[in-house]
Amino acid sequence: MARYILNRLLLMIPTLIIISFIIFVIIQLPPGDYLESYISELESQGESIDPLQIKMLRQQYGLDEPFLMQYLTWSTGMLHGDFGYSFEYGLPVSDVVGDRLFLTTIISIFTIIFTWLVAFPIGMYSATHKYSWSDYSLTFLGFLGLATPNFLLALVMLYFANVTFGTSIGGLMDAEYINQPWSWNKVKSVLEHLWIPVVVIGTSGTAGMIRRLRANLLDELHKPYVVTARAKGVPPFRLLVKYPLRVALNFFIADIGNMLPSIISGAEIVAVVMSLPTTGPILIAALQSQDMYLAGSFLMFLALLTVIGVLISDLALALLDPRIRLYGEAR
Amino acid sequence: MNKAIRLAVCCITWLLSLNSTGYALELKETPIYADQVSAATLPPIAERLPQTPYVDHLELLDQRQLGKPGGTINLLMAKAKDVRQMVVYGYARLVGFNEELELEADILQNVDVKEGRIFTLTLRPGHRWSDGHPFTSEDFRYYWEDVINNEQLYQFGPPKQLMVDGQLAKFDVIDRFTVRYSWDQPNPDFLLALAGPGPLYIYRPAHYMKQFHPGFTDPETLKTRIIEAKTKRKTWTALHQRKDHQYKFDNPELPTLQPWIPVTPLPSERFRFVRNPYYHRIDTQGYQLPYLDEVIIDLASSRLVPAKTGSGDSDLQGRYLSMGNYTFLHEGAQRNSVNVLLWRTTRGSQLTLYPNLNANDPVWRKLFHNVDFRRAMSLAINRHEINQAIYFGLALEGADNLLPESPLYKPQYRNRWADYKPEEANRMLDAIGLTQRDHRGIRLLPDGRPMEIIIQSAGESTEETDILELIHDSWLNAGIKIHTKPTAREVFRNRVFSGDALMSVWTGLPNAIPSASMSPAHLAPTSQQQLQWSQWGKYHETGQGDPPDNPAVQQLLELNDQWRWSTDNSQRESIWHQMLDLYSDNVFTIGTVARVLQPIVIRRNLRNLPSDGLWNWEPNAYFGVYRMDRFWLDEMATSAAISPVEER
Repeated sequence: MARYILNRLLLMIPTLIIISFIIFVIIQLPPGDYLESYISELESQGESIDPLQIKMLRQQYGLDEPFLMQYLTWSTGMLHGDFGYSFEYGLPVSDVVGDRLFLTTIISIFTIIFTWLVAFPIGMYSATHKYSWSDYSLTFLGFLGLATPNFLLALVMLYFANVTFGTSIGGLMDAEYINQPWSWNKVKSVLEHLWIPVVVIGTSGTAGMIRRLRANLLDELHKPYVVTARAKGVPPFRLLVKYPLRVALNFFIADIGNMLPSIISGAEIVAVVMSLPTTGPILIAALQSQDMYLAGSFLMFLALLTVIGVLISDLALALLDPRIRLYGEAR
Repeated sequence: MNKAIRLAVCCITWLLSLNSTGYALELKETPIYADQVSAATLPPIAERLPQTPYVDHLELLDQRQLGKPGGTINLLMAKAKDVRQMVVYGYARLVGFNEELELEADILQNVDVKEGRIFTLTLRPGHRWSDGHPFTSEDFRYYWEDVINNEQLYQFGPPKQLMVDGQLAKFDVIDRFTVRYSWDQPNPDFLLALAGPGPLYIYRPAHYMKQFHPGFTDPETLKTRIIEAKTKRKTWTALHQRKDHQYKFDNPELPTLQPWIPVTPLPSERFRFVRNPYYHRIDTQGYQLPYLDEVIIDLASSRLVPAKTGSGDSDLQGRYLSMGNYTFLHEGAQRNSVNVLLWRTTRGSQLTLYPNLNANDPVWRKLFHNVDFRRAMSLAINRHEINQAIYFGLALEGADNLLPESPLYKPQYRNRWADYKPEEANRMLDAIGLTQRDHRGIRLLPDGRPMEIIIQSAGESTEETDILELIHDSWLNAGIKIHTKPTAREVFRNRVFSGDALMSVWTGLPNAIPSASMSPAHLAPTSQQQLQWSQWGKYHETGQGDPPDNPAVQQLLELNDQWRWSTDNSQRESIWHQMLDLYSDNVFTIGTVARVLQPIVIRRNLRNLPSDGLWNWEPNAYFGVYRMDRFWLDEMATSAAISPVEER
């Protein structure tokens, strides 16, 4: 087991190096650089900027250096915790992202809990009551959630929350609490705003999870061991939770690998639409304005979390399900 | 003892202010500072003001009234970078435009201009930076000698507004409060640059900036500052530039002369600006401006700004709103006690087509150089239809030229070659020799290709797509087919610059309400950013490439130079008219409609914003010329106030 983990950890190094290079190349692929998108943004607002100043900035930011040189500075910097410099904010990347990570994590954790709370009972119910009237209607609801564009749902809910409850539109708290220390009122304000993004981001995840849980359960429910247990008089609910559900959970554990990065990135589009103070909007803005080190470091961080997440879910699966082997050799 | 001296100083400054303004103004302390002044942590108002403050007779203006200090307003912006708008809205300039768009001294006590080339600037003695340090000629000297003439800081040379024909001004410090800039030739751009929405700053808070300059700080201290600094390059120049954000306005430590001072460091979602206790303007009641104690900027994504404004989250909003949001805003106005005003935009045209005179394709380039072809293209556009279908008929139809608000306006500039005459257009195209058509009825070029033009667009808005769709249909009647190709802005510009683009679409003349003293440079090829002749513009800027070979364009350039050399206003006026005449007769750009209305949302009890104003970057600096320091909150007002829009 220890050797397996060590092997996997060692394999991560070349993986991450390759990822970092691909990320950097892709970010640099669109024509122009940060300063060019800066100029055209100013132009679109009617402003203009002295070409001399641009020349100066280009040199100051090191944008006149060759591509490989820029890549090497960035990638070696990351090894000792220097994630580069955000041109847009005029600050080191870690300063820009730092504060937002906390709120992003809160939203994501709440969303995940919401998804589980809704998806598990419904999934179990519709699997056990297959093709019944209630299965169809719940399935219909689930598909509706899956099919509705998140951003549209977000806008509609924002509007009604504002008109009916007077919740301020967008953001994660009332404006007066921004930059203030945490207090009970601030927590209340956050909770008041939190439910909309949680429900919006949660709905699509919920629908998917219901479907998968239902399908996995259906595979198990007709197996002989279930029939035997039922014949022996095990109460239906206890039977369901104790045997088929546990087997059907594999997909859920395998999902953890994807969950880890999504906790940090949040749902970018919804976050942009609702202007949540999370990391998603920063990432998108950075990609649009070609703020390359900010975008690059962020994507790199997500890649690292994905790699770790996959490892964790592999290990957890092995622990949970004795049928899964770590090595290919026969026992 | 100390108190006695202070009292004496107080009396003297008061007497001085009495003398020079001629008004028996009794200065009144700002309520919010009362505690600090009585605790002696802040000097009283008489010591904070310059000896001769700027007395703003705002009550003489239409729809304006004297106000009460105090209160906070909220604004919405989309990005942290947008905090620079507080410099634009705040509009404290050495010299600035008033509402008649005439230049007048603002921060300066006086400007003396001789022969259009010798500028003597006199400061207000006793004027202080927002941290209380005196504002003197040393701040100008520091900028001149230690910033722009420092080879490490400005290695590419001083800003171009300080150069005339490649020659840098001569700078003299006359005394503690007077400086002089002189050139051999007239420099008409100098004062305009100082008054700009994004102004040329020719002064720096020297006492603060010297901390980051090796000429004034010992190497050891500077070294630690460089290491601690959050800059990309660890050099003193990077540190100096990072701290020196007078326009970007994101360094709370940097002393300023603006009405409000930033207090929130980056990054944040909410930025606070508090009043500058040393601001140089007062009203005729003796209150120091600005009236508002605080301005708060909240960030929201640009698409959410109209929604948030409609739900009452902004007290003063114009940016990120457009005519398309009007009905929604108006509905929210009832609920949230705000007013929705409609201001006029002042671009020459909301959407302009730019035939590329520097196109690479030789056949097309020859056609674009043919003035009759450009005229025919313009005649084939149905502007009335665009106005009715997209702007509710509220916009002004015509060519990309001046608006009636400009003192230089003549109706023929806007109307010439701008009526919808499809038969005339077809006749002119036939006369050029474009008589062959293919089976679809599309005319053929002399080399047999069908006349299909790909219009490069930056894909800014659906409004643009809609207008182009209408133009597509009316040009089809003239036998020309267009395709729109939206690209990212950077790609868009590079295609035009390289000559790959045949035709592009962008907004029209940036300032269509100029007076004769404003530069006509936009009418001549002076910048690469001019999409109809970007390569000629680049030649003018850098000397690279080829000079213009079109006689009318050469004439425009010559006239532009004449304007720069002239110092006489009537002569400048006649030059402007010659240029406008040439520009409109030659149809270098094809305009559609102008003066599109801009919704402005204000809190119902926010006073001193005219109900009908001009909304533009240059020269009005958005709210800048209307002086945001005059805005005040009327606590007594009831929500029953009338909405000026419904009144119309």
